[in-house]
Amino acid sequence: MSFNIEEGRYLILGSVDGLLATLGIIVGVSVVSASNSIVVSAGFGGAIALALTNGLGSYLAESTIEHGKLVRTEKSLLRKLNNTYVASQSRKKIAKDAITHGGASFLASLVPLAPWIFSVGSVIASVALSLTTLVALGFYAGYISRQNYAISVVKMVGLGMLIVIAVQLLRLVHLV
Amino acid sequence: MSQIKRLVLDVLKPHEPTNVQVASAIGDIQDVDGVNLSLYEVDQQTENVKITVEGTDVDFDLVLQTIENLGGVVHSVDEIIAGNKIVEEEETLHDRG
Repeated sequence: MSFNIEEGRYLILGSVDGLLATLGIIVGVSVVSASNSIVVSAGFGGAIALALTNGLGSYLAESTIEHGKLVRTEKSLLRKLNNTYVASQSRKKIAKDAITHGGASFLASLVPLAPWIFSVGSVIASVALSLTTLVALGFYAGYISRQNYAISVVKMVGLGMLIVIAVQLLRLVHLV
Repeated sequence: MSQIKRLVLDVLKPHEPTNVQVASAIGDIQDVDGVNLSLYEVDQQTENVKITVEGTDVDFDLVLQTIENLGGVVHSVDEIIAGNKIVEEEETLHDRG
Protein backbone atom coordinates (compact mmCIF):
# COMPACT_ATOMS: atom_id res chain seq x y z
CA MET A 1 0.00 0.00 0.00
CA SER A 2 1.67 3.24 -1.07
CA PHE A 3 0.89 6.50 0.69
CA ASN A 4 0.35 9.87 -0.93
CA ILE A 5 0.28 13.25 0.77
CA GLU A 6 -3.47 13.01 1.52
CA GLU A 7 -3.10 9.72 3.35
CA GLY A 8 -0.36 11.25 5.53
CA ARG A 9 -3.21 12.93 7.38
CA TYR A 10 -4.65 9.65 8.64
CA LEU A 11 -1.25 8.14 9.24
CA ILE A 12 -0.32 10.97 11.60
CA LEU A 13 -3.78 11.23 13.19
CA GLY A 14 -4.00 7.51 13.85
CA SER A 15 -0.43 7.17 15.10
CA VAL A 16 -0.61 10.09 17.53
CA ASP A 17 -4.00 8.90 18.76
CA GLY A 18 -2.93 5.30 19.31
CA LEU A 19 0.42 6.20 20.83
CA LEU A 20 -0.69 8.80 23.35
CA ALA A 21 -4.04 7.27 24.31
CA THR A 22 -2.39 3.93 25.06
CA LEU A 23 0.41 5.68 26.94
CA GLY A 24 -2.27 7.40 29.01
CA ILE A 25 -3.88 4.04 29.77
CA ILE A 26 -0.51 2.55 30.79
CA VAL A 27 0.36 5.49 33.06
CA GLY A 28 -3.11 5.42 34.59
CA VAL A 29 -3.29 1.63 35.15
CA SER A 30 0.27 1.43 36.51
CA VAL A 31 -0.85 3.67 39.41
CA VAL A 32 -3.14 0.93 40.74
CA SER A 33 -1.22 -2.12 39.56
CA ALA A 34 2.31 -2.92 38.51
CA SER A 35 1.18 -6.28 37.10
CA ASN A 36 2.34 -6.79 33.52
CA SER A 37 -0.71 -8.79 32.53
CA ILE A 38 -3.14 -6.15 33.82
CA VAL A 39 -1.34 -3.33 32.02
CA VAL A 40 -1.13 -5.39 28.79
CA SER A 41 -4.84 -6.35 28.99
CA ALA A 42 -5.92 -2.77 29.57
CA GLY A 43 -3.55 -1.49 26.91
CA PHE A 44 -4.64 -4.03 24.30
CA GLY A 45 -8.29 -3.38 25.07
CA GLY A 46 -7.71 0.31 24.53
CA ALA A 47 -5.66 -0.30 21.37
CA ILE A 48 -8.35 -2.42 19.76
CA ALA A 49 -11.14 -0.04 20.75
CA LEU A 50 -9.16 2.91 19.37
CA ALA A 51 -8.37 1.11 16.12
CA LEU A 52 -12.01 0.19 15.56
CA THR A 53 -13.43 3.59 16.43
CA ASN A 54 -10.82 5.40 14.35
CA GLY A 55 -11.29 3.08 11.40
CA LEU A 56 -15.09 3.15 11.53
CA GLY A 57 -15.14 6.87 12.20
CA SER A 58 -12.99 7.54 9.14
CA TYR A 59 -15.11 5.19 7.07
CA LEU A 60 -18.27 7.08 8.00
CA ALA A 61 -16.70 10.50 7.54
CA GLU A 62 -15.03 9.73 4.22
CA SER A 63 -18.14 7.97 2.89
CA THR A 64 -20.14 11.10 3.60
CA ILE A 65 -17.62 13.47 2.01
CA GLU A 66 -16.95 11.29 -1.04
CA HIS A 67 -20.63 10.73 -1.68
CA GLY A 68 -21.21 14.47 -1.48
CA LYS A 69 -18.39 15.14 -3.96
CA LEU A 70 -19.73 12.48 -6.32
CA VAL A 71 -23.24 13.93 -6.26
CA ARG A 72 -21.91 17.44 -7.01
CA THR A 73 -19.89 16.10 -9.93
CA GLU A 74 -22.89 14.12 -11.23
CA LYS A 75 -24.95 17.30 -11.12
CA SER A 76 -22.37 19.14 -13.25
CA LEU A 77 -22.09 16.28 -15.73
CA LEU A 78 -25.85 15.58 -15.80
CA ARG A 79 -25.22 11.87 -15.49
CA LYS A 80 -24.80 9.19 -12.86
CA LEU A 81 -21.29 7.97 -12.08
CA ASN A 82 -22.24 4.54 -10.70
CA ASN A 83 -20.05 1.72 -12.03
CA THR A 84 -17.46 4.14 -13.41
CA TYR A 85 -13.76 4.52 -12.69
CA VAL A 86 -14.63 7.68 -10.71
CA ALA A 87 -16.97 5.81 -8.34
CA SER A 88 -14.54 2.91 -7.89
CA GLN A 89 -11.67 5.28 -7.06
CA SER A 90 -13.93 6.96 -4.52
CA ARG A 91 -14.69 3.59 -2.86
CA LYS A 92 -10.99 2.68 -2.81
CA LYS A 93 -10.12 6.01 -1.15
CA ILE A 94 -12.73 5.47 1.57
CA ALA A 95 -11.41 1.98 2.31
CA LYS A 96 -7.76 3.05 2.24
CA ASP A 97 -8.38 6.00 4.59
CA ALA A 98 -10.31 3.84 7.07
CA ILE A 99 -7.65 1.11 7.07
CA THR A 100 -4.83 3.67 7.35
CA HIS A 101 -6.43 5.46 10.29
CA GLY A 102 -7.40 2.32 12.20
CA GLY A 103 -4.22 0.44 11.30
CA ALA A 104 -1.88 3.30 12.22
CA SER A 105 -3.73 3.70 15.50
CA PHE A 106 -3.34 0.02 16.42
CA LEU A 107 0.31 -0.27 15.40
CA ALA A 108 1.26 2.91 17.26
CA SER A 109 -0.56 1.59 20.35
CA LEU A 110 1.89 -1.31 20.43
CA VAL A 111 4.86 1.05 20.92
CA PRO A 112 4.25 2.04 24.56
CA LEU A 113 2.91 -1.48 25.26
CA ALA A 114 6.04 -3.19 23.93
CA PRO A 115 8.06 -3.12 27.21
CA TRP A 116 5.08 -4.62 29.06
CA ILE A 117 4.48 -7.27 26.38
CA PHE A 118 8.09 -8.39 26.78
CA SER A 119 7.74 -8.33 30.59
CA VAL A 120 10.26 -5.53 31.12
CA GLY A 121 7.48 -3.05 31.69
CA SER A 122 8.13 0.33 33.16
CA VAL A 123 6.38 3.64 32.63
CA ILE A 124 9.71 5.29 31.88
CA ALA A 125 10.42 2.80 29.10
CA SER A 126 6.94 3.36 27.61
CA VAL A 127 7.38 7.13 27.72
CA ALA A 128 10.87 6.94 26.19
CA LEU A 129 9.70 4.70 23.32
CA SER A 130 6.66 6.91 22.72
CA LEU A 131 8.75 10.08 22.58
CA THR A 132 11.16 8.41 20.15
CA THR A 133 8.22 7.49 17.93
CA LEU A 134 6.92 11.05 18.14
CA VAL A 135 10.32 12.30 16.94
CA ALA A 136 10.03 9.97 13.93
CA LEU A 137 6.47 11.18 13.29
CA GLY A 138 7.71 14.74 13.56
CA PHE A 139 10.26 14.06 10.80
CA TYR A 140 7.57 12.47 8.67
CA ALA A 141 5.26 15.46 9.22
CA GLY A 142 8.11 17.79 8.27
CA TYR A 143 8.76 15.79 5.10
CA ILE A 144 5.10 15.89 4.03
CA SER A 145 4.52 19.54 4.88
CA ARG A 146 7.92 20.69 3.53
CA GLN A 147 8.33 22.57 6.79
CA ASN A 148 11.43 22.82 8.94
CA TYR A 149 12.02 19.34 10.38
CA ALA A 150 13.06 20.72 13.78
CA ILE A 151 9.82 22.69 14.13
CA SER A 152 7.73 19.63 13.20
CA VAL A 153 9.59 17.44 15.69
CA VAL A 154 9.25 20.03 18.46
CA LYS A 155 5.50 20.34 17.80
CA MET A 156 5.01 16.57 17.86
CA VAL A 157 7.15 15.91 20.94
CA GLY A 158 5.69 18.95 22.70
CA LEU A 159 2.19 17.55 22.26
CA GLY A 160 3.33 14.20 23.59
CA MET A 161 4.96 15.75 26.65
CA LEU A 162 1.76 17.68 27.36
CA ILE A 163 -0.25 14.46 27.43
CA VAL A 164 2.33 12.68 29.61
CA ILE A 165 2.37 15.60 32.07
CA ALA A 166 -1.44 15.72 32.19
CA VAL A 167 -1.70 12.00 32.92
CA GLN A 168 1.10 12.19 35.50
CA LEU A 169 -0.77 15.01 37.25
CA LEU A 170 -3.87 12.82 37.40
CA ARG A 171 -1.70 10.04 38.78
CA LEU A 172 -0.37 12.33 41.50
CA VAL A 173 -3.91 13.45 42.36
CA HIS A 174 -4.86 9.78 42.80
CA LEU A 175 -1.88 9.13 45.07
CA VAL A 176 -2.81 12.13 47.21
CA MET B 1 -19.81 -1.11 -42.51
CA SER B 2 -16.85 1.06 -43.50
CA GLN B 3 -13.98 1.61 -41.16
CA ILE B 4 -13.80 4.78 -39.06
CA LYS B 5 -10.45 6.48 -39.57
CA ARG B 6 -10.95 9.59 -37.44
CA LEU B 7 -13.32 10.75 -34.72
CA VAL B 8 -13.47 14.20 -33.17
CA LEU B 9 -15.51 14.34 -29.97
CA ASP B 10 -16.55 17.15 -27.67
CA VAL B 11 -16.42 15.68 -24.17
CA LEU B 12 -17.30 16.97 -20.72
CA LYS B 13 -15.36 15.17 -17.96
CA PRO B 14 -14.64 15.49 -14.24
CA HIS B 15 -11.15 16.60 -13.16
CA GLU B 16 -10.35 13.08 -12.01
CA PRO B 17 -9.31 10.96 -13.85
CA THR B 18 -6.70 13.26 -15.38
CA ASN B 19 -6.50 14.06 -19.10
CA VAL B 20 -3.35 11.95 -19.26
CA GLN B 21 -5.27 8.93 -17.95
CA VAL B 22 -8.16 9.48 -20.37
CA ALA B 23 -5.89 9.89 -23.41
CA SER B 24 -3.89 6.80 -22.39
CA ALA B 25 -7.02 4.72 -21.92
CA ILE B 26 -8.34 5.63 -25.37
CA GLY B 27 -4.89 5.11 -26.89
CA ASP B 28 -4.89 1.57 -25.49
CA ILE B 29 -8.02 0.62 -27.47
CA GLN B 30 -7.36 -1.85 -30.28
CA ASP B 31 -6.90 -0.32 -33.76
CA VAL B 32 -6.45 3.18 -32.34
CA ASP B 33 -3.20 4.61 -33.71
CA GLY B 34 -3.24 7.93 -31.92
CA VAL B 35 -5.18 10.28 -29.65
CA ASN B 36 -5.11 14.05 -29.37
CA LEU B 37 -6.81 15.49 -26.31
CA SER B 38 -6.95 19.24 -25.85
CA LEU B 39 -8.49 21.16 -23.00
CA TYR B 40 -10.49 24.23 -23.88
CA GLU B 41 -12.61 25.03 -20.84
CA VAL B 42 -12.40 24.46 -17.10
CA ASP B 43 -14.82 25.07 -14.24
CA GLN B 44 -14.88 24.05 -10.60
CA GLN B 45 -16.19 20.51 -11.12
CA THR B 46 -15.58 19.67 -14.78
CA GLU B 47 -13.56 20.39 -17.89
CA ASN B 48 -14.36 20.44 -21.60
CA VAL B 49 -11.96 18.62 -23.89
CA LYS B 50 -11.76 17.92 -27.60
CA ILE B 51 -10.66 14.37 -28.29
CA THR B 52 -9.39 13.39 -31.72
CA VAL B 53 -8.97 9.67 -32.26
CA GLU B 54 -7.29 8.22 -35.35
CA GLY B 55 -6.81 4.63 -36.32
CA THR B 56 -7.18 1.95 -38.96
CA ASP B 57 -10.62 0.85 -37.74
CA VAL B 58 -11.76 2.84 -34.73
CA ASP B 59 -14.55 1.20 -32.73
CA PHE B 60 -16.87 4.11 -31.92
CA ASP B 61 -18.87 2.18 -29.31
CA LEU B 62 -15.70 1.13 -27.50
CA VAL B 63 -14.37 4.71 -27.49
CA LEU B 64 -17.72 5.91 -26.13
CA GLN B 65 -17.75 3.18 -23.48
CA THR B 66 -14.18 4.03 -22.40
CA ILE B 67 -14.99 7.73 -22.06
CA GLU B 68 -18.18 7.02 -20.11
CA ASN B 69 -16.42 4.53 -17.85
CA LEU B 70 -13.96 7.28 -16.96
CA GLY B 71 -16.82 9.57 -15.98
CA GLY B 72 -16.98 11.59 -19.19
CA VAL B 73 -19.97 12.58 -21.29
CA VAL B 74 -19.79 12.92 -25.09
CA HIS B 75 -21.60 16.17 -25.90
CA SER B 76 -21.21 15.90 -29.65
CA VAL B 77 -19.44 14.05 -32.43
CA ASP B 78 -17.89 16.97 -34.28
CA GLU B 79 -16.16 15.09 -37.09
CA ILE B 80 -16.10 11.56 -38.44
CA ILE B 81 -13.93 10.28 -41.25
CA ALA B 82 -14.82 6.83 -42.48
CA GLY B 83 -13.89 4.70 -45.48
CA ASN B 84 -10.66 3.48 -46.96
CA LYS B 85 -8.79 6.78 -46.76
CA ILE B 86 -8.81 10.02 -44.77
CA VAL B 87 -10.76 12.74 -46.55
CA GLU B 88 -10.29 16.25 -45.20
CA GLU B 89 -13.07 18.82 -45.25
CA GLU B 90 -13.01 20.99 -48.39
CA GLU B 91 -13.43 24.73 -48.12
CA THR B 92 -16.24 25.95 -50.32
CA LEU B 93 -17.19 29.44 -51.49
CA HIS B 94 -19.76 29.50 -48.72
CA ASP B 95 -17.03 28.92 -46.11
CA ARG B 96 -14.78 31.59 -47.65
CA GLY B 97 -17.63 34.10 -47.76
